[in-house]
Amino acid sequence: MSIFEYNGSAIVAMVGKNCFAIASDRRLGVQLQTVATDFQRIYKIHDKLYIGLAGLATDAQTLHQRLVFRHNLYQLREERNMKPETFASLVSAVLYEKRFGPYFCQPVIAGLGEKDEPFICTMDSIGANENANVIGIELAKDFVVGGTASESLYGACESMYKPNMEPDELFETISQALLASVDRDCLSGWGGHVIVVTPTEVTERKLKGRMD
Amino acid sequence: MSKATVELPPKAGFNFDLCRRNDMLTKNGVHAPSFLKTGTTIVGLVFEDGVVLGADTRATEGPIVADKNCEKIHYMAPNIYCCGAGTAADTENVTDMISSQLLLHRYATGRESRVVTALTLLKTHLFGYQGHVSAALVLGGVDITGPHLHTIYPHGSTDTLPFATMGSGSLAAMAIFESKYREGLTDFYIYILYLCQSIARDEGVKLVTEAICSGIFNDLGSGSNVDVCVITKGKVEYLRNHQKPNPRTYISSKGFSFLKGQTEVLSTKVTLLEKPQQEEGVDKMEE
Amino acid sequence: MDLNLDAPHSMGTTIIGVTYDGGVVLGADSRTSTGMYVANRASDKITQLTDNVYLCRSGSAADTQIISDYVRYFLDQHTIQLGQPATVKVAANLIRLLSYQNKNMLQAGMIVGGWDKYVGGQIYSVPLGGTILQQPFSIGGSGSSYLYGFMDQSWKEGMSKDEAEKLVVKAVSLAIARDGASGGVVRTVTINSEGVERKFYPGDSLPLWHEELASVNSLLDLLPEPMST
Repeated sequence: MSIFEYNGSAIVAMVGKNCFAIASDRRLGVQLQTVATDFQRIYKIHDKLYIGLAGLATDAQTLHQRLVFRHNLYQLREERNMKPETFASLVSAVLYEKRFGPYFCQPVIAGLGEKDEPFICTMDSIGANENANVIGIELAKDFVVGGTASESLYGACESMYKPNMEPDELFETISQALLASVDRDCLSGWGGHVIVVTPTEVTERKLKGRMD
Repeated sequence: MSKATVELPPKAGFNFDLCRRNDMLTKNGVHAPSFLKTGTTIVGLVFEDGVVLGADTRATEGPIVADKNCEKIHYMAPNIYCCGAGTAADTENVTDMISSQLLLHRYATGRESRVVTALTLLKTHLFGYQGHVSAALVLGGVDITGPHLHTIYPHGSTDTLPFATMGSGSLAAMAIFESKYREGLTDFYIYILYLCQSIARDEGVKLVTEAICSGIFNDLGSGSNVDVCVITKGKVEYLRNHQKPNPRTYISSKGFSFLKGQTEVLSTKVTLLEKPQQEEGVDKMEE
Repeated sequence: MDLNLDAPHSMGTTIIGVTYDGGVVLGADSRTSTGMYVANRASDKITQLTDNVYLCRSGSAADTQIISDYVRYFLDQHTIQLGQPATVKVAANLIRLLSYQNKNMLQAGMIVGGWDKYVGGQIYSVPLGGTILQQPFSIGGSGSSYLYGFMDQSWKEGMSKDEAEKLVVKAVSLAIARDGASGGVVRTVTINSEGVERKFYPGDSLPLWHEELASVNSLLDLLPEPMST
């Protein structure tokens, strides 16, 4: 068994037109036994920056605390919030520090930058950056996924995603991709939690999903 | 209670706190996740007055293609670049660390970095970790002493070659190099000696592209596009996605459209974000 | 097929050092392999330490490169402090020191050869555990097991430079013929009072031994135009 399969998780983030969405499932299990159905895997760093932590829940929570601590230090020193790119580098550095004894979680980072341009990225458990959404490169990936359902999420997003979606359509797309994917993964599910962020507002929705 | 320890951000180096726990988990049959790898074909060759580096753009996590267009040619110095194969985090971080050391060295000496300096820094770092930092590199650059190409293995050994390949696709790419280099020369060894003079820039780029394509199509760990980097005296051409032999063949722009309100929502919470207020009437800090 | 490409870079080698009347000749093949893959078929396993001392390396490529880097650095300092070239013995002793002190971490068998004005040409062998042995001739690496009898028979005291060079090339080519981990070309370094001379013998110029076939051009060359692109 892989350590990721201990708690189970599904996280996905997508870029839209001047906005982004990040979504996760809500199940926390111990292998096949479900323990909680309202588990938060997406954490807020500041109003326009979120991080989803797939993988082992205990490590996800510890890592989140350390990241909040580091972000607070940054705020005190700089009197401003971190840019998503900066935060991604921080997460990468914090993870790579534990190269030979890693936290068992895979982060998915999504945020709006200084000029409200969306940024998403993910990395592996030792901080190898998988994709920074580089604007201007045609093949740049515009969604990222993580967790036990990542295989099905890749497929769902690959076909459902299209560029430049408005917030409403982005919500529908990411929700459908998430729900479709967790139905094929017994370790994640129990509805979803979707956050859509535009320059002016944050919309959090809880999705209804299968309860088996 | 008086022990108020605040864990400050570490200064440098790895942290081994979780090693014992992770070992325990592994012993109990819970396996650590696989890391992001660059299954990779990376190559390099020396030509007349410069170096051509090449790489594919696939990153894998086990059997999954995790990134279809990643960058494997890393910046080291304005005149030195480095292709990385192996664990993605290791290649990324090793090249970044050495790149910053080179920058400091340039500030201290006021001279252009040399390729051997980068080579020595990389090999001592990798040797120190005895192969545990799994980065296999092809280092190329042009400095005051001319064009140079080196390969560096995870254990810290290095080779100096007129053409080099690394990664899982190295055999496929080497097959191209070995066969195409014979052109016009019956004696291979004489050919090695004169190689540096025999290949011109465009020929070099073409051969590198062909070698990478051979990796892309014959090695499952390599795929997607060809990145090329040409370094000559005082000039670098980074040809990102120089060739795209694998375009998307399925629909994406008009594939699915979902009507608003199709997804069943249990609850919605909207938070309005305040625009960061420009404090008017407050003087800017004096210059 | 298990090529084992992740195996550490190692030199399943043939290396040799021979003294003659007036100096030494060092020789080596040029194959470096990772598992079953030939990672470099034209490598140089005879490394310069100082102007008058060279080193033949066998074993792990990483380990022997690091050792020679350190020893070269120490010898450079030593030369400056002394104001004259380091002796072969000093160089060999530094190699031995590093080999012995780190014997648990290292996989390195080396032959040091050089010339100095006090003793003349000398060969020192520093095998795996960090022993040091001065010998009139020495062989090392995986290919050496095919050479012991041959060297015992062929090496003579008071050979000329030409004889010694011929012997070295012959020995390495014999080992290349029998040892799968050795191959490529033969490189030699001759060191004497006059200085240093490097020589290079391409694979197709080596003598053919029992049942060996002469090298021919690849089929690709026989085709009118190899798949023009």
